Amino acid sequence: MNSKNPVIVAKNLTKKYGNLTAVDGISFEIHEGECFGFLGPNGAGKTTTIRMIHCVSPITSGTVTVLGKPSHIDNREIKLITGVIPQEINLDPDLTVYENLMIFAKFFDIPHIESKKRVNELIDFVELESKRNSKIDELSTGMKRRLLVARALLNNPKLIIADEPTTGLDPQARHLIWERLRSLKSRGTTLLLTTQYMEEAEQLCDRLMVMHQGRILKEGSPRQLISDEIGREVVEIRIAKEEDEKLIAQMADLACGHERVGDTLYFYCRDGHELMKKIVDFNLPNVLNRPATLEDVFLKLTGRSLIE
Amino acid sequence: MNLSYRIYYVFYRNLISYKRFVLTTFVVSLGQPLFYLITFGIGMGAYMGYFGGKPYLNFLVPGVLVSSVMLSSTFECLYGTFVKVTYQKLFDSLIATPVSAEDAIAGEVAWGAFRGLISGSLMLVVATFMHVYPVSIVNVLLLLVLMVFIGILFGSLAMIVTSFAPNFDFFNYYTELIITPMLFFSGVFFPLDRFPGWMKFFAKFLPLTHAVNISRSAFSGEPSPGLALDFLYIILLESAAFYIGIKLMKRRLIK
Ligand SMILES: Nc1ncnc2c1ncn2[C@@H]1O[C@H](COP(=O)(O)OP(=O)(O)O)[C@@H](O)[C@H]1O
Ligand SMILES: [Mg+2]
Repeated sequence: MNSKNPVIVAKNLTKKYGNLTAVDGISFEIHEGECFGFLGPNGAGKTTTIRMIHCVSPITSGTVTVLGKPSHIDNREIKLITGVIPQEINLDPDLTVYENLMIFAKFFDIPHIESKKRVNELIDFVELESKRNSKIDELSTGMKRRLLVARALLNNPKLIIADEPTTGLDPQARHLIWERLRSLKSRGTTLLLTTQYMEEAEQLCDRLMVMHQGRILKEGSPRQLISDEIGREVVEIRIAKEEDEKLIAQMADLACGHERVGDTLYFYCRDGHELMKKIVDFNLPNVLNRPATLEDVFLKLTGRSLIE
Repeated sequence: MNLSYRIYYVFYRNLISYKRFVLTTFVVSLGQPLFYLITFGIGMGAYMGYFGGKPYLNFLVPGVLVSSVMLSSTFECLYGTFVKVTYQKLFDSLIATPVSAEDAIAGEVAWGAFRGLISGSLMLVVATFMHVYPVSIVNVLLLLVLMVFIGILFGSLAMIVTSFAPNFDFFNYYTELIITPMLFFSGVFFPLDRFPGWMKFFAKFLPLTHAVNISRSAFSGEPSPGLALDFLYIILLESAAFYIGIKLMKRRLIK
């Protein structure tokens, strides 16, 4: 694991839809056996990047290779070794759970007898035995997402691409998917994951990049990103804006970063202890001292204002 | 064109899902042509007397048969394909596998042609019960081959329309302005020889006219003049429509 063999190499990868630049000349490498995350708000260009990698969307300029083979729209070789869990649920509603998997296995040229065996194993793996002969519209969203996971594994992929695999799921269903993805990773499969959930990225990703408006803002391991961008602790203080200047001046010697967003003043510190001691003296009502999270990094980098 | 044997997989997927709808589609694909046979053939035929020495029904059957192939393959590649592309997102999942967009589209056309073949064959059975059938087994085979050709032709033409259809209503323009008039200008219900010259000329461009000619020869066993040209026209038009249909549809699928 984590030998530095590159599985995906992107160079100046760019995608334009008319005048809109969805992916703006990004370069990155993903190594064998790692879980790499694309973290970014809606419209950041995560799905577009992924679709170019697995050869379903034409590249405007730049290149991306998968195991040394260049991605392009007619590259069946890459599709053959890649398992895709799409953002949008696109299961075949005319077929049952079992038939969905059997037909998909056929698309990958898997012989019938072997498909049967693999489909049964995968139905077990994602715990859908009881729904084997159900039609797709009889499944809950969590079950559909699990079936998508099973479908992506039919061809024993070397690379799994999961585009927001847990969006819209309740916590139980989400944890089940995470657990399955981790077990794939432990078998050495390379995983590329996009997500808007910080917890998901922290749980699963060895390395990640934060994307915004088609560009890469930062890249690194979750821990490294947090300590580089934020420090170790965050102190949130809910006070009126007018008080900021005074308070910040008082804390100047503690070498904490600060940021005002909406009704809250944030201090980012290596150690929040000293700061808290001082703040207690001020006797402020709404103060919270907590460890820094990836969410702080994300919001700091992509802005805390609403992104539609 | 990135075509491969995987066309068959797409066809097979349709066959599996079709199992559940078999009965309803039989009823639907037989409905309209049967309605023509009964109203025109038996109802009107009673007033028409003999046509070239044979009952009117014998004149009518070969044309209605190819029309039923045309209608089935057309509807399949309009409505059927549209649903799969837009509502079911089926093609999105297909093209993420080694099945190419071209394979997927060609598979749909093949499926449309198959639906046409089924409708045409059912008509053949019904006509046989009405004592109208081709003169020999060889001609039956010829007719089956013709049905496949017509199915691919009209499936491909429909695919072109589907490739830029924004919604279901758009298909009305095609069916009301092109397909339905074609039924009346291609010599299905009455011979073209009493039409004015310009109309006959116009009818020559309609692929259904040529299909009807061939079908009629297959039933009667008397090859009409220009039979080879009829085939040639259908094959040329079909190749062009197939090629353009795939190109345009691919543009819709891949962005
Ligand atoms: N087929 C398309 N046609 C035009 N614009 C698109 C298309 N797909 C995505 N976009 C645009 O590209 C940008 C990036 O979208 P996307 O890759 O889906 O972002 P993300 O997956 O990070 O939410 C968005 O502004 C989106 O509106
Ligand atoms: Mg997306």
